Amino acid sequence: MRSEEEANRAVDLYGDTVRRICMIHLKNRADTEDIFQNVFLKYVLRTAPFDSPEHEKAWIIRVTSNACRDLLKSFFRSRTVSLDTLIKKPQEMPEDHSDILEAVLALPEKYKDPIYLHYYEGYTAEEIGQILGKNTNTVYTLLTRARKMLKTRLEGVTENG
Amino acid sequence: MDKDKNFKNQFREAFGQIHAEDELRANTKDFLARQINKKKAHTFPILKTAAAAACLLVAVTAGGAWLYLTPSAYISIDINPSLELGVNRFDRIVSIEAFNSDGQELAEQLDIRYMDYSEAMEELLSEQTVEAYLENNAVMTVTVAGSDEEKTDQILENVETCTAGHSNISCHSGDMAEMHEAHSEGLSFGKYRAYLELKSLDPSVTPDDIRDLSMREIQDLIDSYSGDSTDTDNSSENGPDSENVHHHGHGRHAGEE
Repeated sequence: MRSEEEANRAVDLYGDTVRRICMIHLKNRADTEDIFQNVFLKYVLRTAPFDSPEHEKAWIIRVTSNACRDLLKSFFRSRTVSLDTLIKKPQEMPEDHSDILEAVLALPEKYKDPIYLHYYEGYTAEEIGQILGKNTNTVYTLLTRARKMLKTRLEGVTENG
Repeated sequence: MDKDKNFKNQFREAFGQIHAEDELRANTKDFLARQINKKKAHTFPILKTAAAAACLLVAVTAGGAWLYLTPSAYISIDINPSLELGVNRFDRIVSIEAFNSDGQELAEQLDIRYMDYSEAMEELLSEQTVEAYLENNAVMTVTVAGSDEEKTDQILENVETCTAGHSNISCHSGDMAEMHEAHSEGLSFGKYRAYLELKSLDPSVTPDDIRDLSMREIQDLIDSYSGDSTDTDNSSENGPDSENVHHHGHGRHAGEE
């Protein structure tokens, strides 16, 4: 069990990263808050030390990614409709670059993390492979395909707009 | 390439706008703080209770042991062997200290530790060595000292009952301060009182002179001085009552038999 100070430091340091990963996977506010809290609770409960700040960040990313995937896969979720969806309360989206955000959100699940980690966090394919537990070549393939899909969608947007 | 760089920048800008909302952070911090404190609240009482129980057990055990093992009164026995028995508040013998080699020998023969002091006295009096001394017209002095006067008187009474059948045993009681003085001279309490008595008659006597003398020998010395001078009876506050000295207690509290 980590201390309250450590917990607060982690929320301050990694809050944005966790929030962004939640954003690309989850559609409503309540799920985001659940995952957000769970990730940091796992962090607090993890007593094993991290080798480095990079290691710590990679751990946070992996836990967030897995938590989102588990939530999306869960039986309950796949057979129910959340209250938020019913009352049409999606997450607020920034207006600038909404095309890019929407294009990323429209990608199939497995492409979202690699594309985010590569373009925003600046990780190499090899590092992404380590974080997400995937083969480096698989990551290359995912990135290439994702880029293609984004390109198609964004060019379509500009052409239509 | 430029296109890719441009896309990268746009991507960074797009995602750079997304932040964990202050409310989300605050809620999460609250949630974590609650979890952390709940964990603490769950683990600590058990630890605290266990620690408190352990402390209590140690305190009770130590306190009990201390109560049991601390003598509240002492019985000093002097013939030639000089012994001092520590009696705890439960009337048990908890310490046996010898003040000379004869005493050491006697202490080794006796198995009276943790015995009730009355039984211990019986045991002691029936011990061969002691019996031999008494039959050979030795003088035995039993001196009781304690911080609690009532307790001391009670022990003295019981000891007197035990020794009632022996004409050459005298019983006295004294106080702890006097006993400590005796110990600082390296003498048992009974012998120290005899020494004081002798010293009142012959101020030149030192503890070393009488350390190895038997009570009979000291008594004889006292008798010889008393016999020499007719007015010594009243000359000192501890002055002996020469008629009774062999058979009866004397001193401050004793001699009521």
